[in-house]
Formats: sequence, structure tokens, C-alpha cells
Amino acid sequence: MKVHKIMEQTELTEQLEKIRGKLIAIEQPRPNRLYLSCESENSREIVKFLFEDVGARFCVATAIDADHCFEVLYHFSYDRTGCVISVKAFIRDRNKPSIESVSHFLPAAEWIEREIHDTFGIEFRNHPDMRRLILADDWPQGVYPMRKEGTK
Amino acid sequence: MSDVLNSLFWILIFPGFVFTAVVGLIASWVVRKTSAAVQWRVGPPFFQPFFDIAKLMGKETLVPEDAQKTIFAMAPVVGLAGITLLSTMLWRGAIWQTDFVGDIIVAIYLMVLPSLALILGSSASASPHASIGTSREMKLVIGYELPLVMAFVVVVIKTGGQLGLAAIGKSAPVLSVSGMLAFLVSLFCIQAKLGFVPFDVAEAETEIGGGVLMEYSGTLLALWKIMQVMMLAALPLFLVAVFMGGFGGSGLSLVWGVCKYVLILVLIILIKNTNPRVRIDQAMKFFWVYCGLTSALAVILAVAGNSYGIGWL
Amino acid sequence: MSWKIKALKKSPWVFHVNTGACNNCDIEIVDLLTPRFDVERFGIKLVGSPRHADALLVTGVVTAQAVKRLEEVYKQTPKPCVVFAIGACACQTGIMYGGYHVAGPVDKIIRQIDPGAIIAYVPGCPPKPEAIISGVVKVLSAL
Repeated sequence: MKVHKIMEQTELTEQLEKIRGKLIAIEQPRPNRLYLSCESENSREIVKFLFEDVGARFCVATAIDADHCFEVLYHFSYDRTGCVISVKAFIRDRNKPSIESVSHFLPAAEWIEREIHDTFGIEFRNHPDMRRLILADDWPQGVYPMRKEGTK
Repeated sequence: MSDVLNSLFWILIFPGFVFTAVVGLIASWVVRKTSAAVQWRVGPPFFQPFFDIAKLMGKETLVPEDAQKTIFAMAPVVGLAGITLLSTMLWRGAIWQTDFVGDIIVAIYLMVLPSLALILGSSASASPHASIGTSREMKLVIGYELPLVMAFVVVVIKTGGQLGLAAIGKSAPVLSVSGMLAFLVSLFCIQAKLGFVPFDVAEAETEIGGGVLMEYSGTLLALWKIMQVMMLAALPLFLVAVFMGGFGGSGLSLVWGVCKYVLILVLIILIKNTNPRVRIDQAMKFFWVYCGLTSALAVILAVAGNSYGIGWL
Repeated sequence: MSWKIKALKKSPWVFHVNTGACNNCDIEIVDLLTPRFDVERFGIKLVGSPRHADALLVTGVVTAQAVKRLEEVYKQTPKPCVVFAIGACACQTGIMYGGYHVAGPVDKIIRQIDPGAIIAYVPGCPPKPEAIISGVVKVLSAL
């Protein structure tokens, strides 16, 4: 059993070599946890590679407001070894944060990107249906509650 | 003059409106208490249905802005009128043995009135939930009316063409093959008419809010509830009168008649507690295919039995 | 005491409203209505429409989106009626205090449209079904 898992883990590492050029760093704090950091321009290609070529399963997308930049994370699960892969995309421009939407080949990301847009104000380029999702109908436009400055 | 007063007394007090309502409320308590016993619970106290009606009378009556107010208010009254007349006729025919030719036809006609009133009232409600309930109730009525009427045709054939209730009540058609089939079919149709599980799709509480009765509140809702309990008193009585040989005049045969009514109530409770709710298309298929074919078979057997003189068919 | 209140105490029909809860309190309310706790002894019945209800079981801190909806449901419940705030979030916003989407606890929203409303509080996170039954019975006997 364990030999099988190790074989598939090395297979995963080999496949990741293919997109090494697009990444800033690969971190592996634990055997079954991988963080792939990249700039926001390359996030779509890396996500497409993970979803289609590696065959990982998309779990959820999250975002955080690190003071000097925004980060959008896409979390995948490589089910054959139980490894969770997170793609960490840095968005350097704090005034007009923008990243390419992945919902064209990943329909499950459509609503999650709407939620991130509602709460952080990050624009997802080429999103098919960017409407308000979780904030109230009478919530003022332009106020993004999860940013560091909050609702002020 | 005293004739008119007599009739008013019969229709409004005894054995009409008040008497049937009280009997119906007691019967609905029996249903709830038995269902509780089946589920190993305690169940409501004896006067619970009376408290329910009293409480509903004390609440304010809200009418939706867009509703057709006249039909909205008149629908429960129409239903109540139908069921009051039906129960007066049934009690008088069953106990006093007074009837007239064409009894059973009038009874079938009056039995449809409460369902029609429900459809009218809910379509006047101007609510999307109520309109779903309306369409389901209409489909249900289309489903069960035909097998029900055919079951009563079996009874008419078996008693040699008698149409008066007291005359039908002299024999017990249930003790023959076609009569038993017709009785089973009409039992399921009564279950649907009363709006009990498994056929309570029209008033499906967890699915479509209140369904047909969604927008009703206060006094109007109390009128609907009274109509429903009166149906619980009158419809099994109709089955007893038509299939099982009716009530007697007094004494032992009266007690025997009450036992027969309780038997049908027990059957209804049994079906209610052992089945989940069915979808409307499953209900229609059940009534048209299974009940329809069974009652058609019963009609054929009854005609064959009559013409060849075989009594038990 | 008028006969209306007397009859109300004997047969309170409940309607469940979720104004943005985490669903824990809702699960406890659904548990409450199962045969194990047998609330039919008190005449309590779950109804599908607020127009049939005498008691509103409100769970959840009232989110900004739910304010209008809760007001509509309250207006559609024929008076006299009782509002039960079930759970810590409904009683005084609990863990959600100061959140960006929180419009206030249930009593603040209800008193805006009806200052004389009867509101009962059943705290807990979530309150056990026994606690909810005890709350309902206490309120009904105090009416």
C-alpha cells in the first residue's frame, strides 16, 4: 500500500516539474500538503494544469488580505494519495485587484468567485455572471467587509 | 310552518351541523390519539380538537390584498353547506329510515362539493403555493371520482337497482367478491377525499407551505377545519350505509352500526400510519390504473353474478 | 383572562423561521417535533404557513438580508401571537456580535414594527429540546 502511495507521490512531483517555470515556489510543510505560489497572471494556467492534466479535484477557493497584497487560493485534492494542493496567487495591485476567472473550465468556481468579489472587491476577468451573492440587496456598493479597512 | 322549523332543526342542530361537527371532532381526536399510541407517545388530551377550533375563532382573519375576496370568504361556507346537507341526509336515512328515490345520486353529488369548494377557495388566494395546491387537488379529484362512482354502481347493481339509502341498507354488499373489491376501492378514495396520508398532496405541509389552505387564517380557517372533521364523520358513515348494511333503527343494531363505523375509522387510521405521502403522479396512476381496473372488474363480476343468479359474486 | 388567550394557551401552533442561523438551533427544533418529545400533548403542531401560526420559533441572528423577511412573516402572523427567540444568537446576537451583516437581535427587529409584541427568550447554543419545551410551557402558563 505504502509503496503504491509513494509511487503516486513521485508521479505527482514529476508532473509538477512541467509547470515549474510558472511558479515562484513549491512548499511542502507536510508529506500530504503542497503550496504552489505564483503571480496572479499565471494562476489560470496552473489551475487548468492541475484540474485537467493532473486530475486533481477542486475543493474550494479562498482569499485573504495580506497587508501589502491580496492572495487568492485555489485548493485541490489529489485523491490518489490524499494530498491537498493549494495554489496561492499573489495580487500585487491593491487599488484595482484583478485576476483571471477560472470558471470557464471549472464551473464550480463560479459562485465562489462571486463570494470573493462581494467580500474583497477582487475583480475576476471574464467571469460569466458577476452578480451580488452573499451581501444584502441594500448593502452599499464599494464597501468590501473582509478587507483590512473593513466597513469604515 | 312547523315543517320548516323541523327541517331547520334537523339540518342545523341534530343530526345536521352541530351533531356532526361534535361527532367529527371526537372522531378526529380518536385518530390523533391512536396515531400517537402507534408511535409510542401520549398524544393530545380529549378536548384538543375543540380547543383548536376555539383558538382559531379567536385569531384575527387576514385576507391577502390580491385575493378575490368574495370567493375567498364564501368558499368554506359552500363546502360547509354541502357537507351539512350530506350528513343530515345520511343520518336521517341511516337511523330514521327516511329516504327518497335517487338518494345515492344526491349523495355522490354532495360529496364533491367540499373538494370543489377547496379548489375554488385556494385559487382565489392569489398565492403561488396555493396555486400548486389547487392543481394538485384538481388532479386528485379527477383521479378518484371515477373509481368511486363505479364502486357505487356495483352497490346499485347488487341491490337490484335500488337508489334509496334505506333500501340499499337492507343488504350488505360487502359480503360478496365484487362488493369487497368495490369497498376496498372506495376506502382508498375516501382516504384521498379526507385529505389523509398517503394522499394529502394538496395540503402537503412540509412541501408547499400550507398548500390549498395557505392564505387562510382565523375564522375562515376554523370553518375549513370544521368542514374537514365533518367529512371524517360523514364519509365513513356513508360507506357503512352503502356497503355494510347501514345502521339499525335502535337498540342493538344501532350499537352494531357504531361498531361498523369504528371499524372503518380503524382502517383509515391504519392506512394513514403505515404509509408515506405519495407524489401526485403516483396518486393519479394508483387511482386510474389500479383502482379503476379493480372497480371495472367488480362491475363486471356484479353484472355476471346478477344475471346468472350467483349470490356470492 | 379572555377566552381567546385561554384557547391560545391550549393549542399553540408553531411556525419556524430561520433568519440566518448556523442551523444548530434549527436541528434542535426539528428534533423537538419528533415523536420522542411528543409536543402534541401540549397541542403544539408544526404548521406550514405563518398565517396558521400562534408562535414563531425564530432562530439565528437577524442578518441584513433577513430583516424585511422577518418583518413580513411577523405581520402575516395573526394576532395574538408569541415570538420565541431560540438560541443565543437570536436572544442577543451571541457569538456574532459586531458582525458586518448583523442587523440586531430578534427583539430589536420585532419591536421596530410592534412595540407591544410578546417575545420570549430561550438561550442556549443550541438549547436542548427539553429547554425549548420548558420555555414554551412557562410562557404559555404566564400569559
